[in-house]
Amino acid sequence: MGEEIREGLKYTETHEWLKVEGNKAKVGITDHAQSELTDIVFVELPAIGKEIKKGEELCIVESVKSVSEIYAPVSGKILKVNEKLEDAPETVNQDPYNDGWLIEMEIADKKELDKLLDAESYRKCI
Amino acid sequence: MAQRSPLHEIHKELGAKFTEFAGFEMPIQYSSIKDEHLTVRKKVGLFDVSHMSNLWITARDAEKLISLTTVEDASRIANGMSQYTELLREDGTIIDDTIFMHLEDKYMMIPNAGMASTVTGWLNVKAEEHDLCAKADNVSKDYVILAIQGPKSGDTLQKLTDVDIKTVKFFGCMYIKIANTDCIISHTGYTGELGYELQITPAKTANHVFKKILDAGKEFEIKPIGLGARDTLRLEKCFILAGNEFEGGKTPLEALLGWTVNWDHEFIGKKAILKQKEQGDFKRLTYLECIDKGIPRHSCKVEKDGKDVGVVSSGTLSPCLSKGIAMAYVHPDFREKDSILDIIIRNNPVKAKVVKPPFVKKDWAENN
Repeated sequence: MGEEIREGLKYTETHEWLKVEGNKAKVGITDHAQSELTDIVFVELPAIGKEIKKGEELCIVESVKSVSEIYAPVSGKILKVNEKLEDAPETVNQDPYNDGWLIEMEIADKKELDKLLDAESYRKCI
Repeated sequence: MAQRSPLHEIHKELGAKFTEFAGFEMPIQYSSIKDEHLTVRKKVGLFDVSHMSNLWITARDAEKLISLTTVEDASRIANGMSQYTELLREDGTIIDDTIFMHLEDKYMMIPNAGMASTVTGWLNVKAEEHDLCAKADNVSKDYVILAIQGPKSGDTLQKLTDVDIKTVKFFGCMYIKIANTDCIISHTGYTGELGYELQITPAKTANHVFKKILDAGKEFEIKPIGLGARDTLRLEKCFILAGNEFEGGKTPLEALLGWTVNWDHEFIGKKAILKQKEQGDFKRLTYLECIDKGIPRHSCKVEKDGKDVGVVSSGTLSPCLSKGIAMAYVHPDFREKDSILDIIIRNNPVKAKVVKPPFVKKDWAENN
């Protein structure tokens, strides 16, 4: 239903996206995910420097009704978090692929990227 | 499989997302919970609440049966009036909260979703035990229930009936034609706004009424409203949700429903709650407004200086206040107004203040 899937990004089956640049990656949730959640009203971000394993809870996104866990698409260390979301969590709804990014992480093992979906495969999965 | 409302197809056409609630598949939202919430506070919204139950209580002793099984003395409730009350077990805990309507020689009772057969069974057993000539019939499947809520609800309904809608008193009820369809109307609701509820049978005639109300409300920017906003609207006004606030068995005194108890009559559970009233030392419902950022949810712990003092029964982000709000059962020593308590959200203490109900005051829409 008009949900955007951006070319050039990596995706997970649990609706996270990754934008890889060298050994770093920005992570967010997809347009499909934000549209399913609707009305995002709170985002709990991890501490900078935290080491996290693929599949572990990366952050929490809350809508009025629901609490959703966002999972780490790959293992690595948290480098930056999108502090703007503390005061404007609705940015995730408005601009999930740009201003609504969640965290930036250092990728521990680039081989993990091979297991992620490309835009085409993600499209089939939603 | 979950039961569907007779209006299911209309909801689908309107773009609803659905959720399962107490065995019913009902719309949770159409556009967005926030948007629907504010529409009801400022304009008017239309809810399908057919998941709620309908019972007829009839025969000579119908009034006596209601007085026996609820905390209300039904002889006080005149023909054409309705009343909010609770049914108690012998131990004083609440089976369900409900509204009953006095309609000439019979009563219609509206128990919660999924409670129809429990309440019907209870009433019939108690009628027999106490030799009362009264009968409860579960007619839930024959009825669609619509709620029209918001400052423009009266203006919307007025376009669809010859009856002067202002003559329907607060908590009044009567037979009426809305959009040429037979309904029972009551001046009641679950949002804290001006509002009406319609009981419509046969259920298939409700399609027409639902569409007519949406048409009539267009000039006031009416929207269909899902269960998501229904929950945030009631929580801002500190109204109870049975499944949350009565979980595990609560008495009217614990749930701060003492004001609904008519002590001057005999009813099932009276002895138990009288005893509790004398003892006084019990956790009771408390209204908490978050100072820190965070959204309290059902079953979050409440602490004072690291000591466990209570638990959240309902919590959400208030769309009107943009703050976390919660109802919690709190130990009597820690629930004084303005007390600061910690709500534990994912292991983090979030500071909250004890406030007087409701969270959102009556004049909110005028000032915002």
